[in-house]
Amino acid sequence: MVEFPERRSMLSIFIRRYCSNRQAILGAVIVGLLLLAALCAPLLTQYDPVYDQDYSAVLASPGGTHIFGTDDLGRDTFTRLVYGSRLTAAAAILPVAFAFCVGVPIGLYSGYKGGFIDQWIITRIVDALQAFPSMVLALALAAMLGGGFMNAMLAIGIGFLPAFIRITRAQVIQIKNLEYVQAARSIGCSDLRIAVVHILPNVMPTLLVQITLAMASAIISEAGLSYIGLGASPEQPSWGSMLRTAQSYLGTQPWVAFFPGLSISIVVLGFNLMGDGLRRALDPKIKD
Amino acid sequence: MKTSWKKITSLLLPGILALGMLSAGCGGGKSSGSGGKTINIALHQDPPKLDPMMSTAFVDRMVFQSVFDKLVDLDSKGNIVPMLAEKWEISPDGKKYTFHLRKGVKFHDGTEFNAEAVKFNLERYKQKKSNRRNELKAVTAVKVIDPYTVELDLDVPYAPLLANLTDRAGMMCSPTAVKKDEDKFLNHPVGTGPYAFKERSKGNRIVLVKNKDYWKKDSPKADTLVYKIMTDGNVALVNLKSGQVDMINRFPLNEVKKSQNEQSFAVINEPSPGFKGIVLNTANEKFKDKRVRQAIDKALDRNAIVSVALSGVGTPAHSALSKSSWAYDEALDKAPAQDIEGAKKLLAEAGKAEGFSFTIQTDTDPISQQVCQVIQKQLKTINIDMQIQKMDFGTLLDRGKKGDFEAATISWSGRMDPDGNLYDWFHTGTSMNYMKYSNPAVDELLEKARGLTDQNQRKGMYQQIMAQLSEDEPYIFLYHDNNVFGLSKKIEGFVPNPDGMIRTVDMMKK
Repeated sequence: MVEFPERRSMLSIFIRRYCSNRQAILGAVIVGLLLLAALCAPLLTQYDPVYDQDYSAVLASPGGTHIFGTDDLGRDTFTRLVYGSRLTAAAAILPVAFAFCVGVPIGLYSGYKGGFIDQWIITRIVDALQAFPSMVLALALAAMLGGGFMNAMLAIGIGFLPAFIRITRAQVIQIKNLEYVQAARSIGCSDLRIAVVHILPNVMPTLLVQITLAMASAIISEAGLSYIGLGASPEQPSWGSMLRTAQSYLGTQPWVAFFPGLSISIVVLGFNLMGDGLRRALDPKIKD
Repeated sequence: MKTSWKKITSLLLPGILALGMLSAGCGGGKSSGSGGKTINIALHQDPPKLDPMMSTAFVDRMVFQSVFDKLVDLDSKGNIVPMLAEKWEISPDGKKYTFHLRKGVKFHDGTEFNAEAVKFNLERYKQKKSNRRNELKAVTAVKVIDPYTVELDLDVPYAPLLANLTDRAGMMCSPTAVKKDEDKFLNHPVGTGPYAFKERSKGNRIVLVKNKDYWKKDSPKADTLVYKIMTDGNVALVNLKSGQVDMINRFPLNEVKKSQNEQSFAVINEPSPGFKGIVLNTANEKFKDKRVRQAIDKALDRNAIVSVALSGVGTPAHSALSKSSWAYDEALDKAPAQDIEGAKKLLAEAGKAEGFSFTIQTDTDPISQQVCQVIQKQLKTINIDMQIQKMDFGTLLDRGKKGDFEAATISWSGRMDPDGNLYDWFHTGTSMNYMKYSNPAVDELLEKARGLTDQNQRKGMYQQIMAQLSEDEPYIFLYHDNNVFGLSKKIEGFVPNPDGMIRTVDMMKK
């Protein structure tokens, strides 16, 4: 870890480094737009995403009053995409928040304390969980918990746990023997204080990158679960379930699938670019 | 750049999601069987149990039509005609049925078909573990009169018996094969039918070969019959267009109109004997009051449901019997027009003027979900907030049986005798009475009607029952669906049957 002389300059260096990367800016813009759409959904469209079913305009092609066309029940695709951004934003945040809140304390404890619980219990369980690809794990859990948006969020969140525990643990093991931690210990700081005040802030940059990348993967997982019917309830405008509905019309009305598919791609790309930018901006080994 | 791969993947994944179905369609493209004398039929589900005694799924019956013969069969008009029984007599009191069996029929394993085989099968179907038990409940004894004559004794007259014998309860399995290994029989059925079971690969295909000793002259006409499992209707359609399959049993409804003038295949669109609708749990506090159920009934616009969710392929309904039944009554089945004011008034009378909310459980079928979403919108106009909860079909039925639900979309594929669409659904305490509905007047009529042999008298009673059901509304009838097949023009000899089954015996490939 590089130690910066002042807090303020650390932030400004970070911002300068982040902004020097054009792809990173693009990523931040995409994510910003997603959040904006989620916040201002009712202002962007005149329709209701669930109840405005126009049976005279079922599967209408893009253009006219429905710029992205309509779905199988005559609902405006643009409206559903805009409102769906709320679910997408939630899908990006909730599982990661869960994995962060549960995984980081476990990783901190495990890495800091070491010993039997770390070596033989936590690490083994994490290894076992990690043996499954996260999508398969999420699928199995969602099937067990039953359908519904919140259950899908929980399932995806549990799937992320191993990565968060491992990364935190590895970083903690690296940091805990550094001089400043020993100094803190020698002046009698409690373990809790050392872990939270002295170690955690130095783990955060790495975790920040992991968080953005996990968000991208969470969106894909939610779309995947909704697509196979384990996610959001059918009337909710989840992009994944929109894709599922569109599947029946792929041969004849491909635009129904096109817009949700494109939206998922762009947003996931945005999160990945942002994660990549964060990593480069925070990595002391990469020089300007 | 190191991370470019990740970005590419992130772009590709949703595309793969969307296109996954196409690749599913391309799988298993190898042509099966030998030469041109193979008929391929796409089924929408993998048949779970190929033993008529254990079977509960609609799709099992499709395969049974080729492997098994029944004592009697249905013709294309719905009349009961001879099959393994050449003729039969019914005693005047309706309590004794005598069947005279066809001679010289052999099971695929060489076992001879005779009166003993009939006795063995019917007694097997009457066992406790059998799912055919109810269909043969009235039969108290099966007597072998001579090698080719069987007598069935009934404790009460039971008019639906012959109709039941045209289906699984009348299918004859080889006693030798069953006795040898009953568990194996589930996946290796042996009957007397036009095609003999050869092999199956779960989730993929079932292969049958011609029964060379079939009793019907010059039948069957093909050497091999392959059922291919294609759960996605669009995939099945692509396969029909490309000639990979010759017939599909669930034609995608939204493609029906566009496919009317196809050169390579025809769309066969026949009313099914079933009904689709919503089960309301009358034991639940929310639906105890009949006025609430009537209000829901009034608030629905069935024409919108049929035109949107079924692309117009189906008939809006208000009773358990469709046009394919002899007891059908057009006036009773006519769907009432949507009446929002009337519905609101009823809700107000029931003390729910402010509306209420409930959860409907539904399966993962896209049509069920479309139907639910249209209903969700329609009920909102009378301040009813309906939540949709989807689950797999097995869980849905399971919760239905336990009464662990408020409302659910559970439907019926239909039986040829009206009793089969009414008794087990609406008689107190019967197996499909998920509604927990109980009306002594309906019970009495149902019992009486199945004991009579006079069709006109029975028809009158069924009409009375259906009128009472539209008053009580334990089940909200929405529509009768159609059996829609896609049939290659290369196939000759297929005749649609009111029971919706594909009878392969006379099908021939040009």
